[in-house]
Amino acid sequence: MIKDLSQFREKLKQEHIYINFAGPLSQSLMEDVVGIVRRRMTLEGENTATVMNVFAIAVEQVQNMIHYSAEMIPDDEKNAEFRFGLLVVGREDERYVVCSGNLIRQPEIAALRERLTKLGDMNKDSLKQYYKEQRKKTPDLKAKGAGLGLIEIARKSSRPLEFDFQPVDDDSRSFFSLKAII
Amino acid sequence: MENLYIAATISSPEVRFDAAQQSLEMTGESYPENTAEFYLPIIRVLQEAVREPDLPFTLSLEIIYANSSSSKVLMDMLDMLDEAAAEGKTVNVNWYYNADNENAKEVGEEFQEDIESLSFHLLTKESDGS
Repeated sequence: MIKDLSQFREKLKQEHIYINFAGPLSQSLMEDVVGIVRRRMTLEGENTATVMNVFAIAVEQVQNMIHYSAEMIPDDEKNAEFRFGLLVVGREDERYVVCSGNLIRQPEIAALRERLTKLGDMNKDSLKQYYKEQRKKTPDLKAKGAGLGLIEIARKSSRPLEFDFQPVDDDSRSFFSLKAII
Repeated sequence: MENLYIAATISSPEVRFDAAQQSLEMTGESYPENTAEFYLPIIRVLQEAVREPDLPFTLSLEIIYANSSSSKVLMDMLDMLDEAAAEGKTVNVNWYYNADNENAKEVGEEFQEDIESLSFHLLTKESDGS
């Protein structure tokens, strides 16, 4: 385990990973972890707009996972205390990347894929218009706001969002990963 | 109406409502865990305020960062005030931002674009002398 951790650390360094978190998520954990990334970037002299864009995207991704991850303890929608997810923030080719990953139920995949594909086809102006339209709408009570969050992530990214759905052992769920580039 | 005070936290703004002045101020960041729960007392204040068409109302916002859920609630709040303003209520909204914070300025500008009746002022923090 010790040797593996050292190799893991090396790998993280090589890939320029700032933070790598996998486990049960909570609001306070997010405040601390994402807050540290924000502070680090500021200390490294990064410009305010970039810091805030990375920060905003990380907050939205984690809050989406806190609300929507299909992996939780206890394994009961109504009584879940923690939901699980992954958050990785790092550097890639002179840009920042913020990635999240979580289990998602099969029936939810189609709608999510459609939403992300639609966002990927929009330019800055259409994303802004779409965001404003969605923001004015009466909330869909089931949605917990995820629609607007994804649009926000897309707006603050410099490229269309990359996403993937991968099979896992459990047939009823898949692993959804999202990558935002800033 | 009663005064309201909510202390700031790392993820939620300080909120001050002065009932005598009919002035509501929010300062800080907004990305609370439960947006609806946090904003409920603030929405209540506005619901009471818009029932008084003759009382001028001032909303001052200095929001460094708002997540998408908060942004939606802020839009709802501005819509409520905008409707009241369309019916004759005097409403002033001051959006303060730090000159370094491009994002905060843009957020303010985008709210301004969707406002029709109330008076919306975009102000850098130095503008009012502070």
